Amino acid sequence: MLWVDKYRPKTLDKVLIHDDVAQNLKKLVTEQDCPHLLFYGPPGSGKKTLIMALLRQMFGPSADKVKVENKTWKVDAGTRTIDIELTTLLSTHHVEMNPADAGFQDRYVVQEIIKEMAKNRPLDTKGKKSFKVLVLNEVDKLSREAQHSLRRTMEKYSSSCRLILCCNSSSKVTEAVRSRCLNVRISAPTENEIVRVLEFIGKKEGLQLPPGFAARIAEKANRSLRRAILLFETCRVQQYPFTHNQAIPPMDWEEYVSEIASDIMKEQSPKRLFQVRGKLYELLTNCIPPEIILKRLLYELLKKLDSELKHEVSFWAAYYEHRMCLGQKAIFHLEAFVAKFMSIYKGFLIATFG
Amino acid sequence: MDMDFPDPQELEWLEANNSNLQDDLVFEEFDYPQPPPSPPPEPEYPPESPEPENPPQSPEPEHQTPDLESKIPSSKPILSLPPKPPTVQPQTNPKKRFRSDVGPDLIGPGNVGPAADVEEKRCRIDDAEGEKSDDEDWLRYSPSKAAGNGDTDVAMVTDEVVEEEERVLSRYASEIVGDCLPITGLDGDRVYAKICGVENEERVKKLDIKGNFDGLSREPIRVLMQRMEHGELSKALQASIEGEKVVNSSSAPVDQEQLWVDKYAPNSFMELLSDEHTNREVLLWLKQWDSCVFGSEIKSTADDILSALKRHSSAVQHSKFHTRTYGNQETRLGNENFRTRNYQNQENNGSKDIQELWDKKRKQSGTPEQKILLLCGPPGLGKTTLAHVAARHCGYRVVEINASDDRSSSTIEAKILDVVQMNSVVADSKPKCLVIDEIDGALGDGKGAVDVILKMVSADRKTDSGKENTTREEQSVRKSSKRRQRNTSLLRPVICICNDLYAPVLRPLRQVAKVHVFVQPTVNRVVNRLKYICNKEGVKANSISLTALAEYTECDIRSCLNTLQFLNKKKETLNMLEISSQVVGRKDASKSALDIWKEIFQKSRVKRERRSMTAFSTMSNEFEFLLSLISNRGDYDLILDGIHENILQLNYYDPVMQKTVKCLDNLEVSDMIHKYIMRTQRMSLLVYQPQVAIAIHGLIAQVDRPNIEWPKSFQRYRTMSVEKTEILHSWHNRISPNISRHFSSKSFAEELISPFLHILSPPTLKPVALHLKSEKEKIDLAQLVNTMVSYALTFKHLQSCPLPGGRRHEDVLDGSLLSFDPPLEEFIKFKGYSSCHFVLPSAVKQVLIHEVEKLKILQGSTNRCMDSPDACNKENHALAGKENLSSQSSKSYQENASSAMPLNAKNLSIQAQHGLSLVKPLTTGAGTVTASAKVRSPEKTKKLSGSSNFFDRFRKIKSNGSQNVDHNVQASGTAERDLRPLLFKFNEGFTNAVKRPVRMRDFLL
Repeated sequence: MLWVDKYRPKTLDKVLIHDDVAQNLKKLVTEQDCPHLLFYGPPGSGKKTLIMALLRQMFGPSADKVKVENKTWKVDAGTRTIDIELTTLLSTHHVEMNPADAGFQDRYVVQEIIKEMAKNRPLDTKGKKSFKVLVLNEVDKLSREAQHSLRRTMEKYSSSCRLILCCNSSSKVTEAVRSRCLNVRISAPTENEIVRVLEFIGKKEGLQLPPGFAARIAEKANRSLRRAILLFETCRVQQYPFTHNQAIPPMDWEEYVSEIASDIMKEQSPKRLFQVRGKLYELLTNCIPPEIILKRLLYELLKKLDSELKHEVSFWAAYYEHRMCLGQKAIFHLEAFVAKFMSIYKGFLIATFG
Repeated sequence: MDMDFPDPQELEWLEANNSNLQDDLVFEEFDYPQPPPSPPPEPEYPPESPEPENPPQSPEPEHQTPDLESKIPSSKPILSLPPKPPTVQPQTNPKKRFRSDVGPDLIGPGNVGPAADVEEKRCRIDDAEGEKSDDEDWLRYSPSKAAGNGDTDVAMVTDEVVEEEERVLSRYASEIVGDCLPITGLDGDRVYAKICGVENEERVKKLDIKGNFDGLSREPIRVLMQRMEHGELSKALQASIEGEKVVNSSSAPVDQEQLWVDKYAPNSFMELLSDEHTNREVLLWLKQWDSCVFGSEIKSTADDILSALKRHSSAVQHSKFHTRTYGNQETRLGNENFRTRNYQNQENNGSKDIQELWDKKRKQSGTPEQKILLLCGPPGLGKTTLAHVAARHCGYRVVEINASDDRSSSTIEAKILDVVQMNSVVADSKPKCLVIDEIDGALGDGKGAVDVILKMVSADRKTDSGKENTTREEQSVRKSSKRRQRNTSLLRPVICICNDLYAPVLRPLRQVAKVHVFVQPTVNRVVNRLKYICNKEGVKANSISLTALAEYTECDIRSCLNTLQFLNKKKETLNMLEISSQVVGRKDASKSALDIWKEIFQKSRVKRERRSMTAFSTMSNEFEFLLSLISNRGDYDLILDGIHENILQLNYYDPVMQKTVKCLDNLEVSDMIHKYIMRTQRMSLLVYQPQVAIAIHGLIAQVDRPNIEWPKSFQRYRTMSVEKTEILHSWHNRISPNISRHFSSKSFAEELISPFLHILSPPTLKPVALHLKSEKEKIDLAQLVNTMVSYALTFKHLQSCPLPGGRRHEDVLDGSLLSFDPPLEEFIKFKGYSSCHFVLPSAVKQVLIHEVEKLKILQGSTNRCMDSPDACNKENHALAGKENLSSQSSKSYQENASSAMPLNAKNLSIQAQHGLSLVKPLTTGAGTVTASAKVRSPEKTKKLSGSSNFFDRFRKIKSNGSQNVDHNVQASGTAERDLRPLLFKFNEGFTNAVKRPVRMRDFLL
């Protein structure tokens, strides 16, 4: 087991970061009926962990007893029936799924699953919870139609079903859905918090942490707790008695992106762009999401850039990211950004150095 | 059968037996290497007509072409051949006619004869030169007339008429004063006819009418003239709407019903419009069959032919210069000149390979090497016509199988065998030549034909190779009959015709067949032919509009003719400007994607400029052109991909990359449009896609030729990323949900894999035997194995999926072959990037495999229990507790592992916790259970293990909540079910059903 999983807090009480949020949630759940919830925050901030802990708080340990099920829905969509298959996690009390995986058909999934849950209400009314919980991941990737269809069903079946939505950015969730939920913002942990967690783990594992080492990892981790713990374990595996200036292995793809960035800085020409395209393809092939590539690339470029240009480049990065969301072929947009950057940068070079 | 000029005498004898005059005629024409027009042409024709010499006994010809000249041979006194049937005479004509076609120069002195026999002949011809040149005059217009007229006309025409003709009809436009009109005869002769008023027409018509008579007309000339005038008058009235009908209007109404395409289908080799080189190649290929098909004839002549050919080719070399020097007269764009020149050039090009071919043929002298000819090209260029004409020319009877026939494998096999292998029983019938048309047409059915042919060819190959030596002997002994018996395979030429050379059905055929790709004939040739037909049909059309038509249809003669006929029917004239607006079907054949990319990346050349003779500006015209081009193709996605793929490889001037940015912006826009269309299913918006490509064209089009590649990288990326996502997905599903729920497949690649690989290959792990490891190392190892199992990872041999049993023997194997089972390393393999990951030595990997397997087997019995949260929950406790407790060091990691699932590995956990040392040190995971079971007395231990485990659990759980008790009981029951008789039955669901009463005593023991 990785430490990430091993030291994942199982209950709300044990949560180390966002403990205020955890306490509020606990109060919310124990004292009164639970509203729909929308968790949002960057990856690695602990949304899922909180949700799991919350479920456990609601239903007791049986909430942890989950099984995987590949569910197939037959949806009657007007003229034809569509088969949609999705992987779901089930327990007696909740269903967890990622409707965005259904692609264009996510709308039907959202509607059907809620209706289905409403039909099969839990029988034992002795227990205090007379509802089931539906956890939907990556709501921000749901299509607009699916989100629209969600808002009515959310109200209609609220007696039998509670929704916990989880996403990275609330801006991609429609207003209507957001207003029907209690929004819980899970911010990325600060470096101090990460250091605290790392030290906690170190203590549990019985490791000697040199001063400042945890801070270095936290700095590298980009404010993602998950990454921090993974890096920590990596360091532990590579060289145990930690030294002060031990190398922290970088993420491979990030290294690669920084190579691309230096390529771009070195030469600006269609030929070079062609090489960059090949490298971008490599990244995309290895399942690195294009938005993240773009973000990282911008980050790497900004590091090397004259401050005069930073604003403009950032603007264009946002512009092309937006287009990327509208389009389908990420490579076009990534490349367009690189081309734009090259153009700006070359113009700048010519202007300054003649 | 005739071959390429053996002894002329012999030949004529042969011909005498042959009924097919026309084929021979054409054949001769071809096989006679065309002598160069080296001496200065003699434009003057003797005005005296030799008509009186015309033999009254000359036969009534059935054919259109030969009959006209029939008078000539009869006038030759030299021919000392035995008396022949009248049909023979026309046959010899063609030779002469042919010569006269080439030009009078041929006859002149100093002309290099191609072959000995040729010279011999020339002597004869020289004698009759006077007649011949006259004869030529006849030729000039006679072919343009419909069939049926003949020498009778000639007899009737007075000297006066002939003199008139000299001015009216001539080989050279220069000799004609005033407007002239080229006329092409059926056999390819071209002359210019003067367009003069009624009188001229009248005469021509007069001739036509007379053609209806048999033999010499018995009517006086005046009567005929009168009749002519009457006829002309009425006709003129009739045809007043149709406009000027130059020739033969009397026959036009009759033929109206016939399609022009059929009507004017070329009958002789010379008339073919397709590329001369191709024509000749095809013919040559067909000739190579002669030795096989016609047996002995060729052998006697092979040498002659060869020498003739050689001489000819050298002559051709000369002629090249001659044409230049004497070009003054020829440079006029007379059809004749054009043709000859063309022909010669072709020959120059072709002479080399022709010779090679002949050499090859000489060596092998059996059937040709490639037994199948595959003609391919766009529709309407005359492939089928060429096949037919060439085959007929070579003396075959054409048997055609096309798409409309039954093409199932069995029927076609019978048919092909019939054609190819049977020798016809009837003596006079000619050998057959199989033409399989549209072989690419029906995929399913066409395959039958292809298979059959391939089978025959391959059978042929086998026999050939085995027979190599014997054939040579046979050849010398000339035992053709014997040979035929033995060679049961392909014995007749097979010509396959297709439109798409790269159709998948044809792939095997392409390899064995001789492939000829048809190219478009030059516009000039098509236009000339069209003009000829127009004149014949009386359609008014100037050459500019015909040129436009030909270009418009991309030299598809069929569609040109159909269009013309259609317009003629509608009584419209072809209008150059209207071609696009007229009903003329624009050829809808879409260009290939590669062509489109080329058009996009390449600036319009001069050629297209010329095409835009209309009022449009070049810009908008080009826009139109590209738009129609791209939207005809339709596959916008592919087009844009191709642009994207190639755009950065082009050499356009772009110092600050402005253009690149703009192009990519355009591509982005198209991508966004595409997604929007797909999402909303508004296909009508697709019309806006080509504009993107056109905009890019405007930005970066270059004059120089782009080097275009097919867009592969995006497809490759797509398939590979799908593959990898699939790997991730399946891996994700294999991991127990308690862990996997916290990761999405995406974040696996993004965050997990890099550190994970580091964690999985700790450099501290030394490849030493287990029992030599220190305590700490063992713990590390145990932890690693634990991680691997919980993340469903293992090592695997790359090549083969190793059996667990076989693994021991493979210990020696190189470790590099071992890689992670979900191939995690793949995800950090970027091109041109070397990661700093430590790779475990193979020994360690072997150990890991071993341990992982062990742990898995332990797990195997209680897979379902993994799901239970208690297992995970308690794991931590168990881990902490057991590590301290475990005294038996050799097993410590196993215990750790098993404690991950405390329910299943009961035996071990008991030992650890109670300090029981009943069990011997265990080595293999699989053995653990069985071995331990053997050691103990069966019943007791089972109870013990079950109970102690139960209590162990119970105690811990108590603190958590009482409701778990039942659960544990069930769970442990499940665990045991596989190993022992049932104690508890676990009902899935939550009814907490304990099926059998259990006493506490049993547990306590």
